[in-house]
Formats: sequence, structure tokens, C-alpha cells
Amino acid sequence: MTIQPERRRPIGPAQPAPSDVELLRAVASGSEAAFAELRDRYGRAVQRVCRSVAGVEREDCEQEVFARIWRKAALYDPARGSAAAWLLTVARRTALNLGAARPPSLPIEDLPAAGERPADLDAFWLQAGLARLPERERTVIELAYYEDLSENAIARRLRVPLGSVKSWKRRGLNRLATLLGEESP
Amino acid sequence: MRHEEVWTRLPDLLEDRDDAGLLAHVRVCADCQRQLFLLGRVDRLLRDDAVANAASRKRRRLLRGPLAAAATVATAVAILLALELPQQGRSEAFVLRTASGQSVAQAVMGHADARNVSLALTARGLPIDRGHMFVLWASDDSSSMQVGRFMVDQTGGCRVRFNLPADHPWNHFWVTRRGNAAAVATST
Repeated sequence: MTIQPERRRPIGPAQPAPSDVELLRAVASGSEAAFAELRDRYGRAVQRVCRSVAGVEREDCEQEVFARIWRKAALYDPARGSAAAWLLTVARRTALNLGAARPPSLPIEDLPAAGERPADLDAFWLQAGLARLPERERTVIELAYYEDLSENAIARRLRVPLGSVKSWKRRGLNRLATLLGEESP
Repeated sequence: MRHEEVWTRLPDLLEDRDDAGLLAHVRVCADCQRQLFLLGRVDRLLRDDAVANAASRKRRRLLRGPLAAAATVATAVAILLALELPQQGRSEAFVLRTASGQSVAQAVMGHADARNVSLALTARGLPIDRGHMFVLWASDDSSSMQVGRFMVDQTGGCRVRFNLPADHPWNHFWVTRRGNAAAVATST
């Protein structure tokens, strides 16, 4: 595994990133840039939802989910739940409809955005949060938590100094915590 | 210890709750207390997700054996059916290239039903410098039509399926940017 140069925008007070709600509003008014940002943030999380629903071809599903988000963003109402909850509901319903043998039966128009299980919503939000981290921070956190590697082992695996691993892990966790504080699902 | 330094090192408290220097600052700093609370939630989310992920991986591993056997049987059945049943129609593949000749997409046309043919478009590396929305067009020797709109991801990739009327011998496909039918991104 190698660490690629960073391409993502850093998250911090100097350059505040738009919130998910702001992105959805911009998408509703036809902003392709906002749509691309939203897709960048939630692509991975949506892929995971699609993968978890049996029988759905992953890429077709992700494409369809984002097509629906593009068409239906204006229907999102922040008073009824968080943006992540709405996006998760769209993703799950789309995946279920695609996976169903019969024609679509779950409407997207009237989404109870607060109806998702908290654990599912947390996992969905987490994937989006991880996607917003610079690659090296995300990689270190994933190796630490998902592969249960020590910082020393991560440094050996990535062939980088131990100090860099510690620093990237701290920064990544702090960024995630800040995002969680701003956009708690 | 300065606030900025403590803030940076707050994640250390997730593993080592005995760092006296950090704890002394956190006791009197509301911002650090809130951040530490959020860090605790993030840590829990990551741990829970890792457990769920590991369980899911284990389930997939356990299913892999029977599924592989089922897939082999299904493949054999599919081959037998293909040999035995009359052909509904053959698939036809078209490569779409950019102006520089680079292959960026493939369109595979196959049978859908009595009135339609299906078109599976797989793109890799469509130019996204001016947006992620594109339009697919098709033509035969006498007419052309807009097949549909589609979106690509950050790498310019997508996999999408359309239906076209079966009463035309479609033999030419091209992709334009949304809102500008003259801006051809790739074509056969």
C-alpha cells in the first residue's frame, strides 16, 4: 500500500466546507459542483448500502441513487431529519427497488428522513465522514480500526515514519470529531 | 501546555487517559471537553463499524464455498441454455473514443424485448472538467435520437443502461455534455 498525494480539500476554519444541507439546497437549484461534492462525500457510503442489499448490481445502483438525489433534492426538508438520514433513505429505497423482482414500490417523494435505524445512520454518516478526510489520514484510521494494526505496524506497512502515522491519525480523528459536531446525523 | 497543542493531541486520550498534562488543560477548557466528547463518539462509531464489517466479511467468507458451487452450476446451465435455445438476438459492442483516439467508453447493444434493444454503456475516464452530466445519442443511417442523460463519478466513470427502439439499425453512438449538443466528448 502506498500513500498518494493529497487531493482533497482540507477541512478547517480557514476554508469551511459547505454542510450537507447547503449542498442539497444547491443541488436542488441545479448546481453540478455541489452535486459532485455530495457524490464525492457520499459515494462510498452509498456503495456500501447498495452492496448490502442483496441482488443489486453495485454500480448501477449507485448511479440510480445519485440520479434520484439529483432529481429529488428539492424535496429534502431539514425539519424532518438530517441530510445524511435523507440520503440514506433514498439510497436504501432505491437499492430495494432495484433489487425487487417487481416494479418499484417504494416511493422517494415522501421520505420520513428520521425513520432510519440509528446504527445504520451512524455507519452511513461515518463512511461519508471518512470520505472527506485527506487520503493519508483516512488510510491510517482505516488500518488502525478496521485492520486493528498498531501505529508501529501501520508505519511499517506504509513505509512512513511512526511520527507521521501518529500525526495523521490524530488529525484525522480530530477532523471526524469536528464534522460530527457540525453535522451530527 | 498551549490550547492548540492539547487540541491536536486530544485523540491520544482515547488510548491513554493518564496524560496529566493534557488532562489538566481539558479540566478547564470547555472547547476541549466538547471535542473530547465528540472524539469518544467517533471512536465508538469506528469500533462498532469495524465489528460490523468484520462480521459481514466473515459471513461472505462462509457463503463463498456454497456460492461458488452454485455459480458453477448456474454457469453450466446458462451455457446449455445458450446452446439449446434459439437466439433472441446477438449483442453488439461499440467502442467510443475521444478526439485524440483514446478509448473511454463501450456501448453494448443486446436484446431487451420485442420492441426494444438494450444498451449498456460503460465509461472510464470521460473528461469531467466541465461537469459530470452527459447525454448519450444514437443514430442509424437515416435518423438520430437522444438516448438519455447520465452522470459520471469523479473519475469520469459510470455504468448505465438504456433502452432504444428496436426498429432502427443503430450503428453510431456519441456522448455530449449536458446543455451543449455540439460539445462531443466521445463517439464511435
